[in-house]
Formats: sequence, C-alpha cells, structure tokens
Amino acid sequence: MDPQPTIISPSVPAHRTVLCIEDEHFIGELYARSLSKAGYQVTVIPDGQQALVAAQTDQYDIILLDLMVPNLTGIEILRALRDPVLTPNLKAKIIITTNLEQREDVRQDIQKQADGYVVKAELTPHELVEFVNNIK
Amino acid sequence: MDHLQQVLQYFRRYLFLVVFIENVVLVTGYWYLSSRTDLNPLLILAGFLGVALLFSWLFMFKASDRLIQPLRALWQAILHLSPGDQQLVPPPDLQKLRVGRELVANLTGQIYQLTSVADRVASNVRQEGSDLRRNFIANNLPLPLFVLDATETIRFANEAAAQYIGIASADLVGKNVYMVLDMSFPNEDTFDVWLKSAKTKNATATKSWERVRLNVRDNHPTRLFDLAGYYNKDNSQKAETMLVLFDHTKQYSQDEQAVSFIALSVHELRTPLTLLRGYIEVFEEELTGKIDPELADFMQKMSATAQQLTAFVNNILNVARVDNDQLELQLQSEDWSIVLTSSIDNLDLRAKVRGITLEHTIAPGLPPVGVDRLSIHEVINNLVDNAIKYSGTSKVIKIDSHLTPDGLVETTVQDSGLGISSSIMPNLFTKFYRDHRNRAQIGGTGLGLYLSNAIVTAHGGHLWVRSKLGEGSTFGFTLLPYSRLADEVKNSDNKEIVRGAHGWIKNHSLYRR
Repeated sequence: MDPQPTIISPSVPAHRTVLCIEDEHFIGELYARSLSKAGYQVTVIPDGQQALVAAQTDQYDIILLDLMVPNLTGIEILRALRDPVLTPNLKAKIIITTNLEQREDVRQDIQKQADGYVVKAELTPHELVEFVNNIK
Repeated sequence: MDHLQQVLQYFRRYLFLVVFIENVVLVTGYWYLSSRTDLNPLLILAGFLGVALLFSWLFMFKASDRLIQPLRALWQAILHLSPGDQQLVPPPDLQKLRVGRELVANLTGQIYQLTSVADRVASNVRQEGSDLRRNFIANNLPLPLFVLDATETIRFANEAAAQYIGIASADLVGKNVYMVLDMSFPNEDTFDVWLKSAKTKNATATKSWERVRLNVRDNHPTRLFDLAGYYNKDNSQKAETMLVLFDHTKQYSQDEQAVSFIALSVHELRTPLTLLRGYIEVFEEELTGKIDPELADFMQKMSATAQQLTAFVNNILNVARVDNDQLELQLQSEDWSIVLTSSIDNLDLRAKVRGITLEHTIAPGLPPVGVDRLSIHEVINNLVDNAIKYSGTSKVIKIDSHLTPDGLVETTVQDSGLGISSSIMPNLFTKFYRDHRNRAQIGGTGLGLYLSNAIVTAHGGHLWVRSKLGEGSTFGFTLLPYSRLADEVKNSDNKEIVRGAHGWIKNHSLYRR
C-alpha cells in the first residue's frame, strides 16, 4: 500500500549493522538474506527480552522492530530504547516493521518515537532494503 | 427553679427582718410620744402610719429594683443577640447582679444556645426547598453525576457515580476530578480544554462528548461513555461544573471489538502475504534470464496477484474503520505529482500482466494538496484496479490530473471498457454493490468504490463517475489544495490535520496520559 520510495543510489556504507527483531522465522530469514546481500551485517533475534538486551549492549546502526514479539512487545522495547535512563546513547535508527494495524492514535504515537514505520506486507524484501538504505 | 426558691427565701428573710425592725421602731416611737406629749393620739398615729408607709415604699422600691435587675439582664441578653442592632446593646454584666445571678447566668446561656440554633434553622429555611429537591434528584439520578468547584475538586458525586467508577462516594469528595476520572477523548477537544476555555470566556457553558474512555485502574472493566458538561461561573454553592456520564460501554466496545477482530485477521493474512511476496521476489531475482519467458510471465502475474491481495486486505480493514467511524486521516501537504506517480508506478505491474498500459498526464504547477498518502493511494489503487478489471478489450487506461476552474485538484481515471449502465449508477458507491451483469466474469467484492468514496469525502473532496454502457467509464475525484485545508482549521497550530470519515477532527495528541 505504501508507495515505494523511489531511490536512486544504493551506495551502502560497508558493514552497517542491523538488528532484526522478528519472531516470524521465515520473514527474518528473508530480510537477513536481502540485507546481507546489500552489504549489511544482520542479526535476527526472535525474542523481545533478548533483543532489548542486545539492542542496549551492542551498538547497531539500524534496528528493525516487529511490534508482535514474544516476552516483550515491540512497543515496550521501543519505549525502553527511547528512555534516556534505560538506554543512554542509543545511536541506532529504529524502524518499526509490522503487519498489525494499530488504532490510528497509537500508530501516530509509535511513529513519533520511531525513525521509520513500514507495513511488512506492503514491501518486498528488496523494497525494505531500499527503505533501510534511505534511513540517514 | 431551685434558684427562684432561693431568691424567694432571701426575700422572705429580708422582709421579715425589715418588717420586724420597722414594727419595733414604730411601737417604741408611738409609746414614747404618747406618754410624753399631750398631742392628739390620732394625729400621732397618722404620723407614724405615714412614716411606716414611707419605709415600706422605700423598701419595696429597693427590693423590686433588685428583683428586676436579673430580668433586665435577660432582656439585655436577648436584645444583644437579636439580629440588627447588636452593636447598640452590650452583653449583660452578670457580675453586677446581686440577686439570682446563677439563675440569670443559666438563662442567658440558654438564650445564647437558642439563638445559634435559630440562626442555623433560619439560614437553612432559605434554601431548604431547593436543597431538598436537589439532593433528592442528584442522589437518585440513575446517571453518574459529579459536581466540581472552581478548583476542579469534586464537591459531590452521587451513588450512581460511585458505583460506576467503583469508588465510594465519600472517597470521591474532596479529590481532584482528574485524579479520579482519567478520561481519554477521541480527539484533542477534551474536557479539560473545554473547561479551561469556559472559565476564561464564559459565564455558563455546556458541551458533550462521545466515545469517552475511562482509563480504570486494577481490575475494573474499561468504561466507554458519552459525557455532558455544564459550567456556571462563580456559583455561590461552590458548584461550578457539573458532569454527567451516559454509559455506552457495551455498544462502543462491540464496535471496537469488531475492528480489532478485523485488525487481527488482517495481521494473520498479512504475514503469509509478506512471505509470499518475499519468496516471489527471491525467485524473480534468482531466475530472471534463466527460465522460459512464459514462466517468467507467470512469475510476474504471481507477483501482481500477491500485490492485489495485499491491497484487498487493506480494503477490508479500512471498510471496517469507515463503518465504525474510526477512519482517521493525517492530512499533510504533498506534491500531488509525486504521490500520484508513485502510486501509478506501484500499479504498473498489475496492469502490465493484463497487457494494459497506464498513461498518465499531470498538469504542471499544481498546488500542494492536503492528503493522507496511504489512504489516497488506496483510492487510486481501487479506481485503477476497477479500470483494469472492466477494461474488456481496451488496452489503455488514461490517468489525468489537472486544476479545476474552482481551484481544486482533480484526478480522473478513464478506461474504454465495458461501461456502466445508467440504471445502476446510483448504487455504485454502496457497500458490496456490484454490477450483476459482470459478476460471473469479473471478480470483486464491491468494497472498493464504497471505501474510495469515504476516503475522498473525508479529504473534503468529491468522487464522481461518468459512464456510458459499451463506451467505458471515467472516475474522477477532487482534492483540496493544502492552503484551503489550512484555512479551514485556522486555529490549529499543528502541521498535520487529522480528519475523520465523518467530519473534522482537529489534531492530535489523542490520548491524554
């Protein structure tokens, strides 16, 4: 549904690191494949709690955050990552990747805190890579 | 009465003594005078009687004065307490009393007590009628009712209110209303905003809100209700604001559940769709050039079909939103040529696999429009999808965007296909309506135009159709330039404008936390 971003130069800086928080194994696999091909270093973590720890300890450039993950919801992870006490000096850009439709107000709230918001079904893995490339 | 008897005893003792002394003096004097002089005994008697009368009179005068003193003190006390000239009459000095001091002190005390009771009764009498009526009505009103003072502190909460929010009414009184009622409003126009403005601008004000949500703590079920507020400045009863709640929890939560059920279904549909599209893309990437052109063509069709399914899933979700008055748009200033081009690019594959070309012309210099990108993309999607479906043998779909004479940005989607008979035109934008003649050949749900119409209307635009059977159809819709939208919500200092399917909603911060 979301119009594809028209992107011209995929000159990806080498080895940008991506943390993909995704519990749907196949989707994680597909995203990891496409992103790795585009030169990213990808870690997929399907568990919310573990993913939050990873996001707080290791410095990633990009975090792809699914909103429906076990043990912690994506919204809880987002809040923890945006909390300057819980997570000081987060340099990662956070992109929400979800298929769940929120109430409009909740969605706006999430969008305000995130650097990007995509509905997974709207994008092919390749289009997702383009989206990530465009995140500055 | 003991005191009175005491006084009488005093009086009798004194009287007896005085009368005794008087008689002694009189008898002695009479005896002395009658033995010594040769005066007429009658004259002497008369003289003594006169003296005796004088004595009695003097005594009576003194005694009565003393007796009257306490009465005077009581009178003074009453005058002192009576309303009006309190300043003029000083309180009685009971120390000066020689007789019955205790009695008078006691009586005066009772007078004071009586007066204060009388005062209270008197002031109550004035309001009694209205108070009684008010309390009766308020307490027995089957609707939750809160009365607030100027500091937004709850002064009164009736039994229905206490039950509704699960807190005893005694615990409610004296608390700040926002501590007790944590309410979420469907838009920015909240109760506190209204009250603040009413306090600065109005003497009295009334307002009502729909679909207010009470954020309850612990295990209390969520409440959804309509709210009515009444404000009356500087009310002497300290009741400035009145709130009445009309519960609609059942009805509203059913609506919400319907939407959340659909949202969940959509989520479940989207996950496999994401994967399908992902794997199709992997195949395309890996196999392009390595496989038979026919298979490559199938691959494209598979991809286009997956896209179409994704679009349909979005339609379902948005129809549910429109039906439940939950479609909300974020209108932002956009360059229409960019939005339209990107939508058309997205649809290109779907047209291509059916051998159809999309031709588009966009007039230069269109003003920025106020649109919600996602929703307006669905409109274009639905109109172009329809054009593809009903194109028949015609292979070109023309998309054109231009400025109308009255300054609106109009976009048309024109096919030269089957066309629509005039008899069914009025039903086109109805939910689930489909042209029965084509049902067998052409798939569809009859949601697309219904949804498109709702979205365009919510944008402040207009969706129309012009068609002739056998000659194809033209669907067009208008959009407002952003500057006009901005005029419509002058007071909003937000860049974004949120608009619902059924009217304006001023942006945003929809949840008060």
